[in-house]
Amino acid sequence: MSPSTTDPKLLVHAYVDGELDPAHALEVERMLADDPALAAERQRVEALRGAIRERLPREQAPPELARRIATAIGLRSAAAQPPSRLSARPSWRALAASVLVAAVVASGATWFIGEGRGPDATADMVVASHMRALMAPASIDVASSDRHTVKPWFNGRIRYSPPVEDFATQGFPLIGGRLEVLAEEPVATLVYRHKQHLINLHVLPARLGNRYLALGATQREGFNILTRAQGGFVYVAVSDLNAQELGSLLQLAAR
Amino acid sequence: MEWSASPMGSLGSEDDQARFASVVLPHLADAYALARWLTGDRADAEDVVQEACLRAFRGIGGFAGVNARAWVLTIVRHAAYAWLGKNRSAALVMVDDLEAVEQQQASDAPDSGPQTPEAALIAKADAARLEAAIAELPLPFRETLVLRDVQGLDYREIAEVTKVPIGTVMSRLARARRRLIERVGMDEPADAPGIAPANEARNEPRKVPRNQP
Repeated sequence: MSPSTTDPKLLVHAYVDGELDPAHALEVERMLADDPALAAERQRVEALRGAIRERLPREQAPPELARRIATAIGLRSAAAQPPSRLSARPSWRALAASVLVAAVVASGATWFIGEGRGPDATADMVVASHMRALMAPASIDVASSDRHTVKPWFNGRIRYSPPVEDFATQGFPLIGGRLEVLAEEPVATLVYRHKQHLINLHVLPARLGNRYLALGATQREGFNILTRAQGGFVYVAVSDLNAQELGSLLQLAAR
Repeated sequence: MEWSASPMGSLGSEDDQARFASVVLPHLADAYALARWLTGDRADAEDVVQEACLRAFRGIGGFAGVNARAWVLTIVRHAAYAWLGKNRSAALVMVDDLEAVEQQQASDAPDSGPQTPEAALIAKADAARLEAAIAELPLPFRETLVLRDVQGLDYREIAEVTKVPIGTVMSRLARARRRLIERVGMDEPADAPGIAPANEARNEPRKVPRNQP
């Protein structure tokens, strides 16, 4: 985001929230370095966010509420059936069945699209997305080294929640995340830096990612692509970094 | 309050049901949490969410398919405000006053808060204190903070849900956090030694506890 304000007190919040584009984020980092009062405010805001995140219990909707809603929505099909003491149940089952059908149709469509691509075309696609990211004015949509900022950012944008970690101590600082569209699917992409190299790490659930595993370790136009499956996710790392160091990041992320 | 009596019989094909199940139901927990923070009560939150779901179901054809969570939360918020208007109009009257105060204060000095508690003190605030402090926030601040810090929406989404410009989201969020910091950072429980009794002093101006450059 390019903020409309220049008030440092507001910008600190936007910075903590990963809402600033890289240029403005750098500017705030400079202000933080120069102004101890501002740096203290940043610590307070982060402490507050951390306390809310870790202490407040996550609210779950009562199961009874979901049933009530299903009953209200499914009234038509329930009313069409002869009255029964289980009348609330069939509509809920119908709802569940239609979800299942929708899921099967959706995954079938994905498979169909993916089938047409050989490993070569897939490698080209992955490298093309990496180069797009390098050329774009901002290669990240959410600029933050805080995984608690990056991970929730994907909520509501994609249908899965990728594992997100910062490996700064191992030499691979997390610098942010973005949404990348690969094979017509929005994909969570984490951006790391190692020395002067930018690394894109696509994280996909196995149902979307398995076809990338065929790439194994590939080199294309001077870029290295490494893949790995772990814990129900497929990790696809792309960078101009050498394969060995790129492999170290993959080891850290997919373990 | 009786929501479920509304005649749904003429509405909703099976397509709509499937779409509702894939668009709305995944966000039921978020919907309920927002409704609870807005109404302050679990039973009321259930009524609000049910009403919101019926509205969402009727309007499912109008969902553009971009951001399901923001769409659902927008409807929940709308239903919650309608509910508050009917059952607790006092809460909404206060909002109007507050908006006026907020706009007036915006032109005043931004750092009106002389209280600068230690980050370490804030970090150890427990759930009950945080809940109470958030619940005490005026509605526009509370919803902005909850959408951001509890539910993890970004500024653009919050602007969309609460129907205000991003600049307003930023200032409300900053204010909400400032209030919470002052509240949970200074207002120590009685069993903690060495801290001034904050309950009596909360509304009075206080000296800055540390030297500021």
